Amino acid sequence: MNPNREESACQYVLDQLEPAERAAFERQLLADPALAVLVHDLESALARGVGALPRRTPPAGLLDRIEGRLGTARPPGALGRVIARWGIAAAILLAVGLAGVWKGRGPAATGPYVLFAGLDPRQSTLARVPVAEAAPGPDARFVQLASLAQAYWDRPGEQPVKEGGAPGQGYAVFDPGTNQGFIAVRRIGAAPEGKRYHLWVIDTVSGRAREAGALPAAGDGGGLFFFSVAPNPGAKAEQLNFSVTAEDAAAVALAAPKGRVVLGATIF
Amino acid sequence: MERTLEEDAVAAEAALVARIGTGDRQALRELYGRYAPPLFSLAVRLVGDGGEAEELLQDAFVKIWRHAGRYDPRKSRPFTWAVTILRRGCIDALRRRRRHPAAAAWPEEEPAAPTADAAEAAAAGEDHDRLRRALASLPADARRALELALFSGLTQTEIAARLRQPLGTVKSWIRRGLLGLRTTLTDPTA
Repeated sequence: MNPNREESACQYVLDQLEPAERAAFERQLLADPALAVLVHDLESALARGVGALPRRTPPAGLLDRIEGRLGTARPPGALGRVIARWGIAAAILLAVGLAGVWKGRGPAATGPYVLFAGLDPRQSTLARVPVAEAAPGPDARFVQLASLAQAYWDRPGEQPVKEGGAPGQGYAVFDPGTNQGFIAVRRIGAAPEGKRYHLWVIDTVSGRAREAGALPAAGDGGGLFFFSVAPNPGAKAEQLNFSVTAEDAAAVALAAPKGRVVLGATIF
Repeated sequence: MERTLEEDAVAAEAALVARIGTGDRQALRELYGRYAPPLFSLAVRLVGDGGEAEELLQDAFVKIWRHAGRYDPRKSRPFTWAVTILRRGCIDALRRRRRHPAAAAWPEEEPAAPTADAAEAAAAGEDHDRLRRALASLPADARRALELALFSGLTQTEIAARLRQPLGTVKSWIRRGLLGLRTTLTDPTA
């Protein structure tokens, strides 16, 4: 590799770049897999270097003090939480690979599964996706979901149901066991002025909608996003559905959708 | 593609950060359990004082909580992201007080603190030995420049002034130092 790029990679990992240089390097990083591998390796070396420092144990009670400073607010933004942008989760895939994550298409008779919802501007179409095994714990489940969501993004032909053909198409992958999932949105367009897009997980029997958060306002709204929702013990997986609505941007806490459905199931 | 234990850990930590970004406090506790000891060790290394290091570690985890929703796994590993947050806080604190870092170098012989877990202790000892070998294999200039870049809070220009070398030379040393460390620390046969 070009020594200048190696030099920049080292400076990036050591946080020695100026903000503008850092932003420029990150643009290169996203476009160059070889550079991403080098940075990954350098980060590994740095982590080992830090990990080999003489170990000091933080005092007991420090975590309580940290939690005390967090208050009751959710982390980002005053307008409610924003769904985490995962872009294309290449870093996850570097670590995970795709083999053995899911069994393939078709309905699951028994055994662990996740929900897939093909979304278009007028409806959503649900399918069960059997997974190879129930991943132990929410972290492993997250990785499983990220892999599946990424694979469907890269290879739309492998989706169990087709996305709608009209602009604004997308899909959701959701694990009813851990109440977390990914939503992929393509070409949804920017939200109208004064509006933001919110994702909802709906129990179609009770009509109860759980807010999963707002899509990031920047850009065209497209991408792959991670979300989670509060548990709803009464809802069965087969009666869930997904909607994206355009809500007032000034709304602080939304208990139920009020805006126009732009993607997915009609809310009733 | 075969996964390694390290890659599994990176993916699991990225998952924790994603969950923190949605307001999951349990995920924050789990990440604290993984990251607090090495981050605290780094903070003590940088600012020296245990009390101040505690405050800086607290600040770092509050920032992790607030910014987790914006973390992008394509740009850095979760641990590097957390180290960057902590280091910036430590460097700001040092500059506010016009102080120099406590120890702008890796320790030579200082062993890791004892731990109740024998396997963990053995792994920590092995890591330390490997790091010592890796550092010993570096040219002295490259090692010094790398240590200053990591522990001093100095910019590259300031490091060049400190070492009385041209900036380009210092950049080259840092590159040689980190690449050398990568070769030795990530090669299982080294």
